[in-house]
Amino acid sequence: MDAILRSLIDGLLLGFVYGIAAMGLTLIWGVMNVINLSHGSLISLGMFSLYFLFTGLGIHPYLAVVITAILGLLLGIVIYAIAVHRIINAPHLSTLLATYSVNMIILGIGTAILSTSPYNVPFDLGSIKVATSVVPTTRLIAAIVAMLVAGGLYLFLQYSRLGRYIRAVTDNREAAEIVGIPSAQILAFSFGLGTMLAAISGGLIATFFPFTILAGGAYELKSFVIGVLGGLGNPVGSLFGGLILGAIEGLVPLAMPTTWTPVLEFVLFVLILLVRPTGLFGGSE
Amino acid sequence: MAILELRDVTSGYGEVQILWGVTLALQDGSMTSLVGANGAGKTTLLRTIMGVNRPWQGQIIFEGEDVSKLPPHAKAARGLVLVPEGRQLFSHMTVLENLAMGATPKRSRAEYNRNLELVFEMFPRLKDRQNQKAGTMSGGEQQMLAVARGLMASPKVLMIDELSLGLAPFLVLQLFESLKKLRETGITVLLVEQNVRMALAVTDYAYVLAEGRVEIQGPSREVAHNPDVQKAYLGL
Repeated sequence: MDAILRSLIDGLLLGFVYGIAAMGLTLIWGVMNVINLSHGSLISLGMFSLYFLFTGLGIHPYLAVVITAILGLLLGIVIYAIAVHRIINAPHLSTLLATYSVNMIILGIGTAILSTSPYNVPFDLGSIKVATSVVPTTRLIAAIVAMLVAGGLYLFLQYSRLGRYIRAVTDNREAAEIVGIPSAQILAFSFGLGTMLAAISGGLIATFFPFTILAGGAYELKSFVIGVLGGLGNPVGSLFGGLILGAIEGLVPLAMPTTWTPVLEFVLFVLILLVRPTGLFGGSE
Repeated sequence: MAILELRDVTSGYGEVQILWGVTLALQDGSMTSLVGANGAGKTTLLRTIMGVNRPWQGQIIFEGEDVSKLPPHAKAARGLVLVPEGRQLFSHMTVLENLAMGATPKRSRAEYNRNLELVFEMFPRLKDRQNQKAGTMSGGEQQMLAVARGLMASPKVLMIDELSLGLAPFLVLQLFESLKKLRETGITVLLVEQNVRMALAVTDYAYVLAEGRVEIQGPSREVAHNPDVQKAYLGL
């Protein structure tokens, strides 16, 4: 019983971080119907951003997460302007290819400079007791940061002027333009926000897991599973989806070899697509 | 003085040309109707003026300035406002949020409270439903919201595409009355309307569009007595 609880807490803490990674993917899909295939490499960049800010410049990791977030926002806006905007109205294949190209460029340059060997952020805050189990403090803080980011995003979208513009563009881009909202700028900013979420999740993961430039790929796949669980285009659903996936990852190793985890995740993925394609918590069609 | 002027504007979709050189002018503070058969290019003309469709050739002059190449949001910011056909609301947002989005142009924000009062007075129904999602309302209520959203922008020129579509006749009358009142506040109105008789009765000037060209124009009263118009659009 104790072991189950411990695994569950472990998994749920990780689930929050998965949740905001998925939020980035699903936000971009919701606003502009683009599947961002560079999502994984952007998570990797978040990891390395944290690594270099900490080991290179000696900046505290959690301050480095904030800087990483800002860099992610800016990078996302640049990627949108260069690679996505010109094909925003083209069929899905074009946006898939464009974001996949961005992915290959980042991975190509990243591999050339950083190789594919693992990196590790030498940072440890010891352990802390959560309920009955002891978890690394970095994981608990990552979960709290992820929660704050998710909550902040929700409040931003719901109540700020810019957030309302994003929802208006999501709802009806042409109508948004007609009432006076500069839709191209809103799309660029939304892509920036999605990239920012990917970078934050990467940065947080780097505080407790080793990583390579290719590591983001695995989290991108998780983001897809979570996005479908929570409903693509529904950022809040992503957080719950992340928790479900985290719980699975925590509990599966108790019953069977860890290698079965992705199998179960993707079985779930296919089942949801078959039975409830709008996700457990509803999303945009 | 003309607040909005079109000079020989052509436009269309892809390879298909719809407008073949439209020239027209809206006098400041006037009400103008644009009538014509289905497919004559009325909606395309409004979309081209707004910039949703790019004009291929010709000029669109707003307040003496060439705005032909401006995107829609920049035109809305200047006070050129479109109530689009098919309503085009933000269906997942509430009535109040839709109205707030209508007040996006900076020049309308200071007048937000006054405009809100005005549209709630015009459409008490919207006041009752302000927290309801726009997509869950009836067609008539959505049409009211579309017009109200346009008014929230403090428009200088308000272009309305198919005002009466989906509305009960008594509501249409009420809307036309409200529009007349608006004219007194100095708003210039361009009305696309399938109810030709009513459109000609309330407006000052009228353009009849046929196959993407202005076929007949003149003071609305004269246009209403034009034998061709009577035969084609008024069933006389």
